[in-house]
Amino acid sequence: MAEETLYDVLGLPRDATPEEIRHSYRDMARRLHPDHNVNLGETELFIGVQEAFEVLSDPDRKKNYDLGLPPEPLMIPPISVQITYSRNSLARMSEPQLFYAMVELRVHADAEHPPTSPINLCLVLDCSTSMQGVRLDTVKSTAIDLVRQLQSEDILSIVKFSDRAEVIVPAGSRADRRSVETRIQVLQAGGGTEILQGLALGFEEIRRYCSSNRISHIILITDGRTYGDEEACIRLADQASSYGISISALGIGSQWNDKFLDEMVSRTGGNCKYVSRAEDIRRFILEKINGFEHSFAENATYTFSTPENVFLNYAFRLHPDTSPLVTGSPLVLGSIPRDSNHNLLLEFLANDVPPKADHLTLCKGRLTYEVPSSTKKRKFVHRLDIATMITDEFDLEPPPPNLMQAMSRLTLYRMQERAREDIGDGNMRDATRRLQNLATHLLAQGQRDLARSVLGEVAHIQQNQTFSEEGDKRIKYGTRALLLPPGTKEKQHDRVS
Amino acid sequence: MIECPNCHNKEMPGALFCHECGTQLVDATRLATQSINGGSTDKLAQTFQSIPQVPIPPQAPADVAVSLFIMETGEILPLEGRTEFTIGRSAEGQPILPDIDLAPYRAYEQGVSRLHASISLGKQQALATDLGSANGTRLNGQKIPPHKPYQIKHGDVLTLGKLKIQLLIRR
Repeated sequence: MAEETLYDVLGLPRDATPEEIRHSYRDMARRLHPDHNVNLGETELFIGVQEAFEVLSDPDRKKNYDLGLPPEPLMIPPISVQITYSRNSLARMSEPQLFYAMVELRVHADAEHPPTSPINLCLVLDCSTSMQGVRLDTVKSTAIDLVRQLQSEDILSIVKFSDRAEVIVPAGSRADRRSVETRIQVLQAGGGTEILQGLALGFEEIRRYCSSNRISHIILITDGRTYGDEEACIRLADQASSYGISISALGIGSQWNDKFLDEMVSRTGGNCKYVSRAEDIRRFILEKINGFEHSFAENATYTFSTPENVFLNYAFRLHPDTSPLVTGSPLVLGSIPRDSNHNLLLEFLANDVPPKADHLTLCKGRLTYEVPSSTKKRKFVHRLDIATMITDEFDLEPPPPNLMQAMSRLTLYRMQERAREDIGDGNMRDATRRLQNLATHLLAQGQRDLARSVLGEVAHIQQNQTFSEEGDKRIKYGTRALLLPPGTKEKQHDRVS
Repeated sequence: MIECPNCHNKEMPGALFCHECGTQLVDATRLATQSINGGSTDKLAQTFQSIPQVPIPPQAPADVAVSLFIMETGEILPLEGRTEFTIGRSAEGQPILPDIDLAPYRAYEQGVSRLHASISLGKQQALATDLGSANGTRLNGQKIPPHKPYQIKHGDVLTLGKLKIQLLIRR
């Protein structure tokens, strides 16, 4: 790669606007400021960012600098973007209207494929009392398999936590396999569940190796609810995300807090899954590791801004790792697979479409991602705007079938979300009606098992005024699994254990 | 604002599905135009007509066997191969496919919903459930509330909209 330009330092394309320069500087400065940074060498990075900003924020100095820049190396970005819209145009009216966009990111056919990058993985294991027995045993045996499977450049660390956390296998330890296995084998369950403790220690371990060319990822496995430290966990997740570390979580059984874990992992581009049976734990971990082998780019994020009259209402990642996303900017997308698409579905709400303009930019921004290679991660930035025409007539042409299909599934997921909200508000009648409608649609799509679970929940809600212990999770993750594009259908695990 | 034809919920223009009941809100216009050039309709009807005649090898024979006797045409549809069947009518362009498709028996004119009712076969008994259909289901002339299973026996008449079906049950 050519020498790093000041634009690269700030993670910006060369045609960045003064506003973008200011924003990017602020974001980076906040993270790297000597008062906050923890890693060695970050103060130097901070100085670099500071210098870049001083030059680029001053119009005269920027002009001078731009003149001295070598021409931008011509290169086709390795990821191509395709956007499908629900309508060809927005209608010119003051009433609010909805507009959908499906964004597909795909690796260019002739992009060079770097060899599979080694991984830097940290398992954060809940060893609270409730994990005792088959749950912990399965986790242990999977961890041991993992130790045996990893390549020599891969790095694995393991942290256990209950009321407090402890490093079982430090990152980059040269201990022989046998002693590592023994250490895993003797793990004991006991105590409460304090997720922050485990996560913080796992973060510390993984960060020691995350600046190199590896894919860094934390897998949190828990079966319990953490109390009082949720916000701190979410702050930690944001911090991890800014280092390019993603977090995924596996919730076992009925006692864990799915809302909290979903929010936490989606901030890092990871995903959260639910398993009812211990045997599924193994499948989840191995699928996750397998996913890294098929990853082309990591830490994809979309930094964007919308005009005043447009809101991004909802964002959902369809593939890989089906998951709702936190809708603010930047949108953390996660990894882009080598051999399939990364698909996003966005719902925009446009108010008061200007009467004069003939097109509207719904959101304007840049897509950044990193392609790990043998020596260093290569960062890429491109512009990505979502814009559409404005016409007088309301466009009645039917939406493209793939968008319709994804939306029909997403509608089911959102009905389930709304039913949960209804119950939260104590509105049992709406909740049961919604769930009954949901069950009918599920039956129509041939999802008998899931439909039956939903109807079972309806009966439970009518009697007890709340969801059953596992019912809400089974329905949430069951309807979510429906959203996987056809062909990647994974085994449903919504059956009762 | 646009209104959901199913539950009359108001949605914003541009919405694709009703967020209350999940009904698809776009497409109606396209369907009308498509059905004019008849060709595909005939083909579809043929495919569906052939379905009930193909004997499905019973995988797990239930202890109770049910057949549907369409009273208007005198045809008998056996329920085989499963323990739960959805009854309704197929509609072009809709992904909904009931197990028992009544479209060949003028279901649309008779007011049968796309997903109207279900019949499940247990060890000792058979149950019929209305799936929240638009025109309701009657059991021996008595309207049954939606989403509640009702026990059915030999000779019972199930009315879906206006379409009458007698149940033939063998133990």
